[in-house]
Amino acid sequence: MTQKELHNQRLVNEANARALHHLTRRHFLKESAMGLGALAMGALLGGCGGGKEELAQTPFDAAHPLAPKLPLFPGKAKSVIYLHMAGAPSQLELFDYKPALMKLDGQDCPQSLLEGKRFAFIRGVPKMLGPQAAFKQRGQSGAWVSDHMPHLASVADEVSFLKAVTTDQFNHGPAQLLMHTGSARLGRPSIGSWATYGLGTENQNLPGFVVLTSGGKFPDAGKSVWGSGFLPSVYQGVQCRSEGDPVLFIQDPAGMDRDLRKASIDAINEVNRQQYAEYQDPEILSRISQYEMAYKMQISVPDVMNINDEPQYIHDMYGTQPGKSCYANNVLLARKLVEKGVRFVQLFDWGWDSHGTDSNLAIDVGFINKCRQVDKATTALLLDLKQRGLLEDTLVVWGGEFGRTPMMENREGKQNPFKGRDHHVEAFTIWMAGGGIKRGTSYGETDEIGYSAISGKTTAFDIQATILNQLGFDHEQFTYQFQGRPFRLTDVHGRVIEEIIA
Amino acid sequence: MFSIVGHFHPVFVHLPIGILLLAFILQWWQRRKPEAQVGQAINLSLLVGMISAIVSCITGYFLSRSDDYDEDMVNQHQWLGIAVAVLAIVLYYLRVKQQGGRWHWPMMIVLVVLVALTGHVGGSLTHGSDYLTRPFSAIGSGDDTAKQVIITNVQEAAAYAQVVQPVLQEKCFSCHNKNKQKGGFRMDQPDLLLKGGKTGVSIVPGNAETGDLMKRLLLPKEHEDHMPPKEKPQLTEQELALIHWWIASGASFDKKVKDLQQPEAIKSTLLALQGAPKSEAPKLPDAIPAEPVGKANDSALKRIRDLGAVILPVSRNSNYLTVSFMNATGLRNHDLQLILPLKEQLTWVRMGQPVIDDSAMSYLVQCKNIPRLQLDHTGITDAGMAQLKQLTQLQYLNIVGTKVTAQGLQQLKGLTALRSVYCYQTSIRKADMDGLQQALPGVAIDTGGYRVPLLATDTTEVKPANSK
Repeated sequence: MTQKELHNQRLVNEANARALHHLTRRHFLKESAMGLGALAMGALLGGCGGGKEELAQTPFDAAHPLAPKLPLFPGKAKSVIYLHMAGAPSQLELFDYKPALMKLDGQDCPQSLLEGKRFAFIRGVPKMLGPQAAFKQRGQSGAWVSDHMPHLASVADEVSFLKAVTTDQFNHGPAQLLMHTGSARLGRPSIGSWATYGLGTENQNLPGFVVLTSGGKFPDAGKSVWGSGFLPSVYQGVQCRSEGDPVLFIQDPAGMDRDLRKASIDAINEVNRQQYAEYQDPEILSRISQYEMAYKMQISVPDVMNINDEPQYIHDMYGTQPGKSCYANNVLLARKLVEKGVRFVQLFDWGWDSHGTDSNLAIDVGFINKCRQVDKATTALLLDLKQRGLLEDTLVVWGGEFGRTPMMENREGKQNPFKGRDHHVEAFTIWMAGGGIKRGTSYGETDEIGYSAISGKTTAFDIQATILNQLGFDHEQFTYQFQGRPFRLTDVHGRVIEEIIA
Repeated sequence: MFSIVGHFHPVFVHLPIGILLLAFILQWWQRRKPEAQVGQAINLSLLVGMISAIVSCITGYFLSRSDDYDEDMVNQHQWLGIAVAVLAIVLYYLRVKQQGGRWHWPMMIVLVVLVALTGHVGGSLTHGSDYLTRPFSAIGSGDDTAKQVIITNVQEAAAYAQVVQPVLQEKCFSCHNKNKQKGGFRMDQPDLLLKGGKTGVSIVPGNAETGDLMKRLLLPKEHEDHMPPKEKPQLTEQELALIHWWIASGASFDKKVKDLQQPEAIKSTLLALQGAPKSEAPKLPDAIPAEPVGKANDSALKRIRDLGAVILPVSRNSNYLTVSFMNATGLRNHDLQLILPLKEQLTWVRMGQPVIDDSAMSYLVQCKNIPRLQLDHTGITDAGMAQLKQLTQLQYLNIVGTKVTAQGLQQLKGLTALRSVYCYQTSIRKADMDGLQQALPGVAIDTGGYRVPLLATDTTEVKPANSK
C-alpha cells in the first residue's frame, strides 16, 4: 500500500467510526431531545418563511457558491475597491473648504450649535477650530483639495466628491457597521458579502471578497464589518495578512507533495460527500467547495498576492515598502486582485481618529502623516487602474465612517494637549471614482462652517444603494430571505445618487 | 366661495363631452338600424348631457372669474360652451315633443362639432395652445432635444435666453404664459417677468433674496406658496443655482454669461451646461445593444465552459453574453471557433491568455455585437488589428501589454462607435498621438505610463512642535 492510499484509508476509517457512533443508543438519547426540538423549530420557521418561488429566487447554489451569478441589469462596475479610513479623517482639512470657519478660529462655539446635540467627547463650550490646511482649487473641475494630499489633488478631475454625507452613529464601531452592513448593530452581511452573493467571483481560483488592513489595528467594529451575517458563510470577506505571506500555510509543508495534497483533499471531500448524502446540509457542500478553492488558491495566490513581481516603477508609483505592513502595499495588492477578477476588495487603514489627545492623533501632526501615508498610493491606484483600462469598470470609494467637528475637542471640558476634532455625524466627505461614476463633480454642500449639510444630503444607505446600482443591482429588489422576511442591505432606506452617475 | 364652485369645473366638464357623444352615437345607430329601440336611450343621454353641460357652464363661469386666463380664449370657450348647452336643451325639447324630426340628425351633428370645439379650446387653456401639436412638430425636427441649441462655449452664451429661459420654459411657462396667467403672473415677457403677479414684485435685479420668484422657488415643497406646485416637475438644484445667480448678477436680459460676475460656486454649474442640452452630462452609449437577441445554444455554452471560461448573460432577462477566458489556461487559438455559434450574443469579451494571437481574430471579428474587447497581454499584433475594424459596434478596446504599434491602431479608422482605447505597455507613445487622434477623432487613447512624482513630504513625517 502506498503512503497515499494509507492516508486515505485512515480518513475513511475515521469517518466510518464517526458514522457508527451515530448509531449507538447513547448518541440517540443524547441528541434526540435536541433533534426533535430542532425539527419542530424548523417546521415552524419553514411555515412562516418562503415558499418554493422564493427559494428559486435565492441565487444560492451550495455546490458552487462562488459561481458568477446574474445582476438585475448590466452593471457599469465589475469590481469595487473600498478604501475605508478607519477612525474618520477630517473633511475640514481635506475637501470641505470653509474660509468662514477660519474667521471664527479660537472663538467660543455659539450655543445654537450645541443645544440638543450630543458629542462623543466635547463637553461644555468648545472653541471653534479653523481649517488647519491650505486649500486650492484643482484641475478643470475646480474641486477644493488641501495641500495635505498633493498627489490626489492632481487627479481631482477623476473623482466625484460627496460633500454632505451624514450618519446617525457617533462612535466608531456602530458607524463602521452602518457604513458597511447597513445596520449599526451586529449581524448583518457586509456590502462585500452582498456583492459576492449577488455576482460571485469571476476568478474561480480566488475568493470573491478580500479584506486587507493596515495602520496597526483592526477597525473598531471588528471582523463583523466584513462578516457575512445571515448570508451563507462562504460570502464573508477573506482577510489576508498584509505582512509576510498574505495567506498562511499556502506552501505545502516539507514532504507533502502536490499529488498527496490533492489526494488528501479528495479523500476529505469524499467523506464530506458521504456526510452530505446522509444529512443533506448544504453547508457541507460549501465546505467541499472551500477545500477545492483552497487547493486552487495554492497555485493562484503566490502569483497574484505577491507584489514583489511588480516592476520597480510601479513600486515607486505607489510608494510601497516591501516586506512591511502598509497601506501602499495593500493598495497595490488590491489592484492586482481586481485585475484577476476579484469582486470586492475592502481596505481598512487605521489611525485617522484625530482627537488631539496625543501627537499621533493631532490634526496638525499625526493627521498630516496619515495623509502622507495614503496620498501617493491612492493616487497611484487611480492612475494605474486607468492606464490598464480597468477604472471604467472598477468602482473606487474612499472615506471614513463619519466626519469631524468644526469645533476643537475639549475632552471632559478641558483643553486637549494637541489640536483635534471630535466625531461629527452631520456632515463629512466621501469620494468615488471609476465604475460609471461621473468624473470631476461634486454633490452636496455644507453650511459656511461645515457643521451640517444644507443641500445634496446623502447617507450611508445612499452610498450602498449607489454601489449596488453600479454593480447592476436594484437595492430595493436585491434581497435575502431570512427569519421569515426578505432582508435588504439598505433595509427600508437608500436612494441611488443619480447626480454622480455618468 | 366662487372659487370653490369654479374648481369643480374640471370635475364636471368631461361629462357632457362623453354623454352627448353617446347620444350622437345612439342616434347614428338608430338611423342605421331603425328597428333598434334606442329612442328612449337617446332622450335620456341628451337629458343627462344637457344637465351636465349646464353645470359645466356655471362652474366654468366662476372659474373664469377666479383664475387668470387669456381673456380672448376664455370668451371663446365660454360662448361655445353656452352654445352646446343651449343646443342640447333645444334638441332635447324637440325630441321629447316629437317635433321637427328631420332636423334632429343635423342638429346632433352640429352639437358634436360644438362639443369638440369647446373641448379643444378648454384644453388649450389648461395645457397651453401648442399642447396637441407639440409632438408633431418634434417629429419634423428629428427629436425633442434637437430643438435646443447646444451651448458650445458657455461664456459666450446669452445669460437669459440660453441659460435661464430654457429652465423657465420647461418648468414655469405652462401656467404663466400668454393664455394662462396663474396668480396674475406671466413669465414669457421680460417686463412682465420682472413685474410679478398679484403677490408682489417677482424679481429685484441684483438682489436675489427679496423677490417673490426666488422666495417661492426656495420654500419647502410642502409649503402652500411653493412653486412649482408640488405635483409638477420641480427645479433641480443646478437650475435653482443658475436662476439665483442670474438675479443676483442683475437679471439682465441681453448680456452674455461672460459679462456677468461669476462667483466660484456657480462656475461648475455653468460649465456643466456646456456641450449638453438641458444641463445633462452626455450619457455614455449603452454597452449592451438595445435590440433583443435570440437565446444562446446551450450545448455551445457548455463547450465554452468546458474550456474553463466563465460565460454568463449580461443580466437576468437578457440573452446577451459576457465571456472571460481568464481561467481557461489550456486555451488554444483554434478553440475560439467554439464562440461562432454565439456570435450574435457575445458582447463583453475578456481574453487574458497570452497564447491568443492574430489567428484567433478571424473568429472574434465574426461576433459583430462586441462593444467591449479586452485583448490585454495577448499576442495580438498589427495584423490582428487590421481585422478588428470589422467590429463596427466596438466602443472599448484594451490592448495593454501587446505588440500592437501606432500603425496597427490607425487601422481602426472608421470605427465610429469607438470611444476608448487602452494601449499602455505597447510601443505606442505620446509622440504618436497627433497622428492617431487624426485617424480616430473623439477616441480617448490612453498610453498610460503615469508616474506619481516623489515629493519630499511623501517620506518625511511631521513632528510635534514642542510637546506641551
